[in-house]
Amino acid sequence: MTSKRLTAVVLAASLAAAGCGGSAGDDDKTFRIWHYESPDSAMAIAWNKAVDQLKQRHPDLNVVVEEKGFEQIRKTASMVLGSNEAPDVLEYNKGNASTGLLAKQGLLVDLTDEVKAKGWDAKVGAVDTAARYDESGVMGGDKWYGVPNYAEYVLVYYNKDMFDQQGLQPPTTLDQLTAAMDKFKSAGITPLATGGGEYPAHQVLYQLALTEADRDWVDRYQRYTGDVDFHDEAWTKGATTFADWVAKGYVDKDDAGLKAEDMGLSFMQGKQPVMITGSWWFGRVKATIKDFQWGTTAWPGKMTSGGSGNLWVVPKGSEKQDIAKEFIDITLSQEIQDVLRDSGGVALAASDGQAADPQTQRLNEDFAAVAAADGFGFYPDWPAPGFYDVHVSAVQKLMTGGATPDQALDELVGPYRENLADIGK
Amino acid sequence: MRRHAVLWSFVALALVVLAPFGVVLVNGFKSPEQYSTDGPISLPDRVSLDGITAVWERVDYGEKLLNSLLISSSVAVLAVVLAVLNAYALGIGRIKGRTWVLVLFLAANTLPQEALAYPLYFLANETGLYDTRLSVIIVFTAIQSAFGTYLLASTFSGFPRELLDAAVVDGAGKWQTLLRVVVPVSRPTLGVLFVFFFIWTWNEFFLPMVLLISNGNQTVPVSLGVLQGQQMMDATASSASALLGVVPAIAFFLLFQRALARGITAGAIK
Repeated sequence: MTSKRLTAVVLAASLAAAGCGGSAGDDDKTFRIWHYESPDSAMAIAWNKAVDQLKQRHPDLNVVVEEKGFEQIRKTASMVLGSNEAPDVLEYNKGNASTGLLAKQGLLVDLTDEVKAKGWDAKVGAVDTAARYDESGVMGGDKWYGVPNYAEYVLVYYNKDMFDQQGLQPPTTLDQLTAAMDKFKSAGITPLATGGGEYPAHQVLYQLALTEADRDWVDRYQRYTGDVDFHDEAWTKGATTFADWVAKGYVDKDDAGLKAEDMGLSFMQGKQPVMITGSWWFGRVKATIKDFQWGTTAWPGKMTSGGSGNLWVVPKGSEKQDIAKEFIDITLSQEIQDVLRDSGGVALAASDGQAADPQTQRLNEDFAAVAAADGFGFYPDWPAPGFYDVHVSAVQKLMTGGATPDQALDELVGPYRENLADIGK
Repeated sequence: MRRHAVLWSFVALALVVLAPFGVVLVNGFKSPEQYSTDGPISLPDRVSLDGITAVWERVDYGEKLLNSLLISSSVAVLAVVLAVLNAYALGIGRIKGRTWVLVLFLAANTLPQEALAYPLYFLANETGLYDTRLSVIIVFTAIQSAFGTYLLASTFSGFPRELLDAAVVDGAGKWQTLLRVVVPVSRPTLGVLFVFFFIWTWNEFFLPMVLLISNGNQTVPVSLGVLQGQQMMDATASSASALLGVVPAIAFFLLFQRALARGITAGAIK
């Protein structure tokens, strides 16, 4: 192609571009839903069923489901919701720095009345903290700005075949877990799969701290209800025990740079017998492992990381808020909740019947037990924006021996206090 | 012998550089099950196109390809045209205060895009261009032509005066000088700019992500962001998407590499 002809083609293309504007289709008949779950996840499967029901109820409505990237929603939400292009209902992250911030900016519809009228509060139950916010956007307040329809929590995954080979029972206490890891270590196996480069390792440290914690401790840390001492008994136990596990070889110090993906692969390939991580891995572990028996058990201790799943939020700019509320109501119906549970998710309001698969049933029963004991400690990186990277860095240093437990905890103090000052506490 | 040693060590280095791409290539054609059981390094048992077709269908890749092509080629053409006009004024016309104008262009180039995001969003929203491909074309035409202006103005200031004087003697006006003398002589350089602008715009992620929110308007890199989850990644799908994302840019590069080679060596031998 000669350059002249090429130029002509390209110019024509650019003129065409100028001619066509947005294709959002903001007519009266379009109802837009955004989420960022992968298509084979329990949530996406259940929500697609809910979308089908919504379509049946409103045959003249054009329901458009757009799957988004997590980063895109996280980085652009406040801009999108402040424009005319906002969807009518979307999945959004829970927490002070996410839904709390949007609520404080006045971008979300206050759903409190609807929650009471439709009885959603009873269904959501023990994990409602992250759905409610106060006027400064701190969770646990009195107004509902989002509604979860599933939950998640951190639990222990174990390789039953490897436990059997060592003559071990699934651990139900921290002592049993430690003893089991010790036995694996003497047999030449590094027992705990983890990754210091992302969330797995610092969640383990927080789990260990939670064994000494109670509701008041969690509220002080997560909801700023009182003083937080990063060198108190609980935090110290978390950091020293974790350092001890590294020193004894239960955790490989070379795992400091690994990602969550590496942790999962190592466990699913049967290389390491224990993995302490969230229920969001359950579906993939179940679909992948074919060569050996495995199981899950609740974290030994009263409290565990976890809480509600992501929230459905309704933007102020939505012109179809009633239909958005109706959609949320459908996702909380028993029928959809059963689909969510049977697809390997942690449901909030499923029927009393058993899930078809015993492992899934166990996952949901363990969740119910933690919920009944009011045992959710949320996640360690929630209290301050950017705290995730601080936690990752502190725990990495602990793993490589670059910091003592005291020094690692020291790193958390500054960013936490700065955030407190920012929100005027 | 010694010459071969140098050559071989460079080959070894090249292999080291290419290794990560090799891993991506291998995993792009692996089934997810095999990735989970054997890990990232193993060779695929069989060539599985499942990952590629799954990604293609999930993000409606054909539509994104058209969007990217439209945006990148429009930007490449418009930015070259704008840069030539600017540089003609600055480099050959030698307007007053041209050094400061060039310094301004250079400084604008060093601004991080994160700082531009909110103002651009605000302007796009006010003008009703938010979530249109046109907004991205305008933004990147400005960004790329700023760099182009800086680069071309420097080359134009060294433009042979004899040619310009000859054009004046022949009775050419300013436009004729630009179109009949300056542009033809500097065509190799313009070709290089065109190729770079196209590839740079193609690879942009952040601003298109901010400005294009409907899935139907998105470019290839933005739409492939869907595959990176909150707590997990799908390694085979990510590899497949990396391949899908980079292949068009490589194809474009190969198509136009002659223009590149000519542009880079232009003026090397007088």
